[in-house]
Amino acid sequence: MSGFDIFAIALALVVIATLFAGVKTVPQGFDWTIERFGKYTRTLRPGLNFIIPYFDRVGRKINMMEQVIDIPEQEVITKDNATVTVDGVAFFQVFDAAKASYEVANLNQAIVTLTMTNIRSVMGSMDLDQVLSHRDEINERLLRVVDAAVSPWGLKVNRIEIKDIVPPADLVEAMGRQMKAERVKRADILQAEGQRQSEILRAEGAKQAQILQAEGRREAAFRDAEARERSAEAEARATQMVSSAIASGDVAALNYFIADKYIRAFGEIAQSPNQKIVMLPIEATGILSSLAGIGEIAKATFGESAASAAAAARRGSVPAAGAPPATPPPAGRG
Amino acid sequence: MLTALGGWGWLIAGLVLMGLEMLAPGVFLFWLGLASFLVGLLSFLVAWSWQWQLVGFAVFALAAVPLWRRLGRPRQDATDQPYLNRRADALVGRVFTLERPIIDGAGIVRIDDTVWRVSGPDAPAGSRVRIVAADGASLKVEATA
Repeated sequence: MSGFDIFAIALALVVIATLFAGVKTVPQGFDWTIERFGKYTRTLRPGLNFIIPYFDRVGRKINMMEQVIDIPEQEVITKDNATVTVDGVAFFQVFDAAKASYEVANLNQAIVTLTMTNIRSVMGSMDLDQVLSHRDEINERLLRVVDAAVSPWGLKVNRIEIKDIVPPADLVEAMGRQMKAERVKRADILQAEGQRQSEILRAEGAKQAQILQAEGRREAAFRDAEARERSAEAEARATQMVSSAIASGDVAALNYFIADKYIRAFGEIAQSPNQKIVMLPIEATGILSSLAGIGEIAKATFGESAASAAAAARRGSVPAAGAPPATPPPAGRG
Repeated sequence: MLTALGGWGWLIAGLVLMGLEMLAPGVFLFWLGLASFLVGLLSFLVAWSWQWQLVGFAVFALAAVPLWRRLGRPRQDATDQPYLNRRADALVGRVFTLERPIIDGAGIVRIDDTVWRVSGPDAPAGSRVRIVAADGASLKVEATA
């Protein structure tokens, strides 16, 4: 094999190798920086690219996709001196591959450190209660500060999220007790409130009942009075009717009624269970004389024949003083 | 092998390389194949030793580079997702409301639940700005009429 043979083969190989070295296919999601003799010149975008072999070389292959970095746990002292353990995540994306390559030595470490120190400063300016309840505000403040700080590095922090905020165990226990006490207090208050309400309702009910009863009594009294009035009125009317009847009619009719009542009353006295004493009215004999009144009526009604019979019956009767007003003997008697 | 097949060897190698280009596009194989093919064709016209044929192949391959850069470069913009990993460029032309004023040419705009640094003429909070260009991770804005 002559020197020329080797030269020819070597030449062909070198040419092919050179051609391949000049072609750079950059995958999507990455930007490659190109250094010419060590100095940055340009950035290769995803796709097919050409560089000049022997002069240029690929410097850094920068990931242009959004990336997530864990912010490790750290202890933070809040404004009210509670020590809490905090961790989080940061999302960032490189926008300028050259700056991200050469402006900062260790990008991820720089972002993590920056975020950690800012978490300390933001949370250190808040009370524990605020820290636990204002995560959005913390995230927002962190984002603004960190994003401004990383701008020279050609990247943008899209979000910073606090993941866990863990207060010390004894503090958590105290918080639990506080919440329990709070709830017990609420329950007690509610119960007392309920009792108060029920007492009030019961008293209201009793009051209503009494009012209603009084109203009932009042109403009843009114009606009783009315009834009495009505009956008195009726009595008066009846009396009036009787008196007008007497005025326009015969006294003998009145005598009949009275005698009838008289006898009935006497019958009732006789029937009373008290057998030893029989009450007799002073003018018991008046009863009999009242019968004469009846006779008079009969006479007036049925004529002489009946009258003579009545007179015969009357012969045994003894007229008595104090008898109910008897009819005056008719003319032509005896 | 080269001597046995003569020019045919180069022609076959050329076709094989051109075919391989289909499997691995954009790796310059097509042009190497073309150079090989050319050497094969020339070997029928000119009687030259295989060493010279190799040298010729190398020369043609180098000569193909300018041609390739002019003609054969696949179009870079033929994509249905031109803004992949270029989020800032995707925002150009959109209009947003300033949450805080732009002071000394720098401000902040809230977009998609994150904040973007913007640079542009000073404007009070509440005014509307149009994004005209992306500059790394910050956006250039102008006030909308």
